[in-house]
Amino acid sequence: MEAIKNAFNFSDLPKTELALASAVLVFLLGFPAMPHSSFGMATMIQFLAFSLYGMGWNLIGGYGGQVDLGKAQYVGIGAYTTAVMMIRWNVPFWFSLPLGMAFAVGWSFIIGYPLFRLKGHYFAIATIATSLVLKDLFEVWNFVGGARGLELPIKGDFPNWLYLQFREDYYYYYILLGMFLIGLIYVNGFRHSRLGYQLRAIKDNESVARSLGIDVHWSKIKAYATATAFVAAVGSFHACYNYNIEPEDVMSLDLSVLIAMMAMLGGAGSIWGPIIGAAILVPMKNYLGSWLGGQAGFAGMDLALYGLIIMVIAAAQPRGVYGIVEAVRARRR
Amino acid sequence: MEDLAIQATKSLVSGLLMGLVFALVALGLTVIFGVMDIVNFAHGEFLMVGMYTTLLTSPLLGIDPVLTLPIAGLVGALLGVMCYFGLIRFLIKGPMIAQLFGTFGLMIFLRNLALLFMGSEPRVIHQGWLVGKSFIVGPGVVLESTKLAVAVLSLVSFAVVWWLINRTKVGRALTATSLDAEGARYMGISTEKMNALAWAVGGASVGIAGGLLVNFWPVEPGVGLLFTMIAFATVALGGFGSVRGALVAGILIGIIVNIPPVWDSMMRLVDVTGLDIHSFKYTMVYAIYFLIMVLRPQGLFGWKQ
Amino acid sequence: MRKIAILAAIAIMVALLAPALAVAGPKEIKIGVIYPLTGSVAAAGRELRNGAELAAEIANNVMPKIDMTMAKNAGIKSLGGAKIVLIFKDHQGNPQLGADLAKKLIKDDKVVGILGCYHSSVTKTVSAVCERYGVPMINGSSTSPTLTKRGFKWFWRTTPHDKWFTKDLFEFLVGLSKGKVKGVKAVPMAELKTLASACEKTEWGSNVSLEIANFAKEYGFDLKANILYAAKSPDLSSEVQSMIATKPGAMLFASYTSDALLMIKTLKSMKAKPKVIWGQDAGFDKPEFRALGGEIEGILTRSVFLPSVVKMKPLAGEVNSMYAKKHGHDMDGASARSFTGLQTWVYVLEKAGSTEPKAIQQAANTISIPGKQLVVPWVGIKFSTKGDEIGQNVLGNGLIGQYQMKDGKIGLQVVFPFDMATAPMIFPFKGF
Repeated sequence: MEAIKNAFNFSDLPKTELALASAVLVFLLGFPAMPHSSFGMATMIQFLAFSLYGMGWNLIGGYGGQVDLGKAQYVGIGAYTTAVMMIRWNVPFWFSLPLGMAFAVGWSFIIGYPLFRLKGHYFAIATIATSLVLKDLFEVWNFVGGARGLELPIKGDFPNWLYLQFREDYYYYYILLGMFLIGLIYVNGFRHSRLGYQLRAIKDNESVARSLGIDVHWSKIKAYATATAFVAAVGSFHACYNYNIEPEDVMSLDLSVLIAMMAMLGGAGSIWGPIIGAAILVPMKNYLGSWLGGQAGFAGMDLALYGLIIMVIAAAQPRGVYGIVEAVRARRR
Repeated sequence: MEDLAIQATKSLVSGLLMGLVFALVALGLTVIFGVMDIVNFAHGEFLMVGMYTTLLTSPLLGIDPVLTLPIAGLVGALLGVMCYFGLIRFLIKGPMIAQLFGTFGLMIFLRNLALLFMGSEPRVIHQGWLVGKSFIVGPGVVLESTKLAVAVLSLVSFAVVWWLINRTKVGRALTATSLDAEGARYMGISTEKMNALAWAVGGASVGIAGGLLVNFWPVEPGVGLLFTMIAFATVALGGFGSVRGALVAGILIGIIVNIPPVWDSMMRLVDVTGLDIHSFKYTMVYAIYFLIMVLRPQGLFGWKQ
Repeated sequence: MRKIAILAAIAIMVALLAPALAVAGPKEIKIGVIYPLTGSVAAAGRELRNGAELAAEIANNVMPKIDMTMAKNAGIKSLGGAKIVLIFKDHQGNPQLGADLAKKLIKDDKVVGILGCYHSSVTKTVSAVCERYGVPMINGSSTSPTLTKRGFKWFWRTTPHDKWFTKDLFEFLVGLSKGKVKGVKAVPMAELKTLASACEKTEWGSNVSLEIANFAKEYGFDLKANILYAAKSPDLSSEVQSMIATKPGAMLFASYTSDALLMIKTLKSMKAKPKVIWGQDAGFDKPEFRALGGEIEGILTRSVFLPSVVKMKPLAGEVNSMYAKKHGHDMDGASARSFTGLQTWVYVLEKAGSTEPKAIQQAANTISIPGKQLVVPWVGIKFSTKGDEIGQNVLGNGLIGQYQMKDGKIGLQVVFPFDMATAPMIFPFKGF
């Protein structure tokens, strides 16, 4: 009961932030009714997906301070669970979604236990290693199609709610928006939860946290597993949305890095950070790409600019865009 | 049985050579980390810049690619110093997250700048002293001249860096900075200068490595990623900041990736086909990395976590 | 006040109706073209784009010199001379981006149909979008066999796929043992029987690897090594060592450009000397590969278009010289297939006489383009409508070319099909 009350308790956030967040929420709810291009819609769906990835990453990376660069392996577990179950046994999305999350959490416990013996850079690189090992295994595992990937059959009779197959993107949009809101509320509850406080104590100073009687190792593993569930859920959704998955697509290092990067850019360790990061980077990547990338002779210009902006933000404010907002607010006061 | 022994020798030789290549690429990374606790995600991009430098300057000056190595080293050092003063100096004030994030940005920036100016097509050097030559020693054991040259350079570089750090005044200042930056400042050591020096040495070593590698490897803007990943595994396995560790770990990884032919010839001995482990060769590297790290969290020769 | 409101209402009505009136007689037919214009295969993307653009130019203008039906009319005759307009989009090799762009083309740009996408993985997601919206898509350059195994109703592929190409290879090897190859006496089967293959480990390479294993069994060859390697690998010496250790008669590869270059360099330094080296197009048929010069003499690659084909097909010569005049080099497999893909679009539209999806579907399923209309050396274009391959062109076939030095320049000569051979084959491979 307490947990639920906490989850809906946003009162400790500044009023301006809440007002802005409500405005954004209204915009998100009404977006499909506004005039938009279908590329805009696809960009919004990606924005929601990366916000969710980022929220997951933020639980362990932001609140816990453990830089995780292997989130793509859980995207893959979620996506593959849904795809394999639909193709082989005709299992609807709504059943494979929780199963995918459960598999991901299970796997996170298996590797989380040894992983969290490592710290700092060693930890970051070990997460990359585990993710690459899993990807390599999936690339030769014939049961899941190997490197050839899996293609979901088109069931027909749209809209098909059971298997999440729609002709128009706004169905996908609202489903993902629902997941987004659940995620946001969960993260808000997490902030106020016992685990949330423990993690922040660990991030500040591990030995102090330990002396306070916090089981550091176990707390990290729990937060890591929770983060994993978020990522796997979006992975399941991605399989249905994209109709085709390959290890190279859903488990690549690029995806892991992108997930971490969005959350870091927005501001790791704050509730709005991953959302801000996704809201900046996703449209920038898509639209810079279609403006500059398509022109002959400018290949690479868009991403070079993208890299430059990331460098500038990282150098200017280590806590990301949200850090800049906070700094400005502190100065006003 | 004899077949197996020959194959094992062959693999050991090419493993050693490749291992020294990996170690040389990783050297710069470990020097930088040792001094200032920062992991440079753009390390492979430094390598790429070194490769392009030799590729472009050699025909421009009309000299053999090997002779352009000082230029590649200089460009690498300059790039390192520029990155330090333009970006890293700001990043080290922040937490580890911000450092990773900033060097990611650098990686994306450099790679796409190369794409913009050089195009995406892979390029190779067609002529030179080292290009396309190899020696056969013993039954079927081949030494490729480029890899041999890189291996020799690798050993020399490790010796030089080891000497620099352990036997010179500058090296002691570097070590002092890495152990306790604040303390070093009180002792009158300019940590700023030391950091810049570390970036210069790191950049130069990887630049030279790139200049030599391009005699054998094709270069394209994305070439850095796999080398970066292996360099990370090498440095972490050896222990961050340990020069000796990087050498040993590099050789270990070189030998691991050359196991598959031995496995194949073992399978032929017992007449089993269809068990291909080539596609797992990097998986094995990461898996062994993971196992060793779990057993020894500070790496093979590391002293700090 | 009320007057203004009425005026405003009229203005809005006009604004809404104007575009509708403008398109009353279709003067333009928009085709969305999705190719990898940037990213790691941008070089191929450029060729693909040039090929499609040239085909559109020939369709839109009268060119009496070229002996093609589409060159005789300006635009689509059955649609009142409507012109083909191509809208290019860049998918960067990213399946998700490809699907997003397809939606943009279909919903925002209102294209009649789609051409693309080169990467089989992107073609998969894009064709799934087309299938959902009921928009026709013609694919000219993706070779994954699975694409036409899905029973899609809105997807047609003109190019033969990897299964055919791999079968060609085995037909060629058998022909070699029977003395069918121009300039080579029958080679004892024992010399060729042992095979070793190395394919890159993504969707394309692992499919090829599987096909090689299947056909080797079917044709009675002994595939001693069947290796998958990580693409863009920093080191290929262990793969090459394993292949050499099996003492193969033929080495078979499926590699993209940078891997192909590194593979040749490693083969050379390890002094590999098989009788035959064969590459599955891609990296083995790129200008960067050709730049290796004399080193690659004797290496085989499959393709669908080789400049030496023009000896057999005057039409191909005409089109190729137009292409060479514009871009400074000959057409290659990518541009020729892209050209043919768009050409098929033009013929389908001409036959349909309408831009309605249903009419286009009907036309595509019944079309038959004779081989003499095409620049590629195929019997023609006719799509299968039943069986286990839906939408696949059944009249296509591949070529195997060999790199040979001629007047100090490296170039490809046709060695398979045997009756199309343009030069005697160099056999065995002379070594590096």
